[in-house]
Amino acid sequence: MKRLIKPSFRNKDLPPFSCEFGGRGRVLDLPLIAWLTLIWVLLWSSLNWANVLTGVLVAVAVCLAFPLPRVDLGLRLHPWGILMLAGYLLYDMYTSGVRVTRQIFVGHPHRAAVIAVPLRCRSDLMLAATAVAVSNVPGGSVVEVRRATATVFLHVLDADRPAALDAARHSVWRLEELTVRAFGTPDEIARVAEPPPPIRHDRRDGT
Amino acid sequence: MSVWLQILDMAGAVLVFIGAAICLLGVIGMLRLPDVLSRSHAATKPQTLGMLLVLAGVALRLRSGMDLATLALIGFFQLMTGPVAAHLVARSAYRTGQTGHSELLFDELDEQLTEER
Repeated sequence: MKRLIKPSFRNKDLPPFSCEFGGRGRVLDLPLIAWLTLIWVLLWSSLNWANVLTGVLVAVAVCLAFPLPRVDLGLRLHPWGILMLAGYLLYDMYTSGVRVTRQIFVGHPHRAAVIAVPLRCRSDLMLAATAVAVSNVPGGSVVEVRRATATVFLHVLDADRPAALDAARHSVWRLEELTVRAFGTPDEIARVAEPPPPIRHDRRDGT
Repeated sequence: MSVWLQILDMAGAVLVFIGAAICLLGVIGMLRLPDVLSRSHAATKPQTLGMLLVLAGVALRLRSGMDLATLALIGFFQLMTGPVAAHLVARSAYRTGQTGHSELLFDELDEQLTEER
């Protein structure tokens, strides 16, 4: 008789922390189910067995109905790094709020620009996490992300001074390093410890 | 003891007020700034900060475990979804040319896009 649920330590083909459900090779990601259950319980705002059970049922149903492609995210959690990232994000959000407010009320029109910032890490998750972090801090909002070259394109509000552009670039690189130190694999952490890549200075209509 | 509770209530009310004021600043910014990309700055950053402050203020007034966790969840989703929405708006605005290219000081993305062709 075939088992209904086959966890990954019985079957080495499956990715870690997952189990095979049923005979047709549907793979359930256990951390994802735990996370969806947690969200369900939090949305009901009370922790009891009925909520946890219905949460698990709903999570399994959602995962079976909308299967995700099997990818290796390369997600690691470093608690100290996450704390550092959260602290810097809060501080940066405060300064960015102040700065954007000042730009709103300043009388003369500012000159905006779109700049390219090449990143050091290459994995999709780190790229996405860095882009999300960058959107929340001063310096720029993300216009475009190029995956092949791991480049983020930012819209910068006050591009009049070259110093402001350099500051925007360096804040992106600092955030990248913080993000990778919070969630990255050891390989990625070693990569962000290196100095940032050089910037091309061959603009046609330069500053 | 009730003095401390009153202080907490007061601090919560002040935080909610500051957060609402910052959200209002974002709205004013959306009205004053000239183009879509600049407006997306004003629409995302002060909004997120104001939203987090309102959540912190509400948390100071509610003060019960599960409610705090729900508020943290709301804040988490705000942080995760706001940038995605802003990026999609900015990207489609850029691709359809609604940025006022003449007003941009320089544009490194445009150079890369034209190199490809």
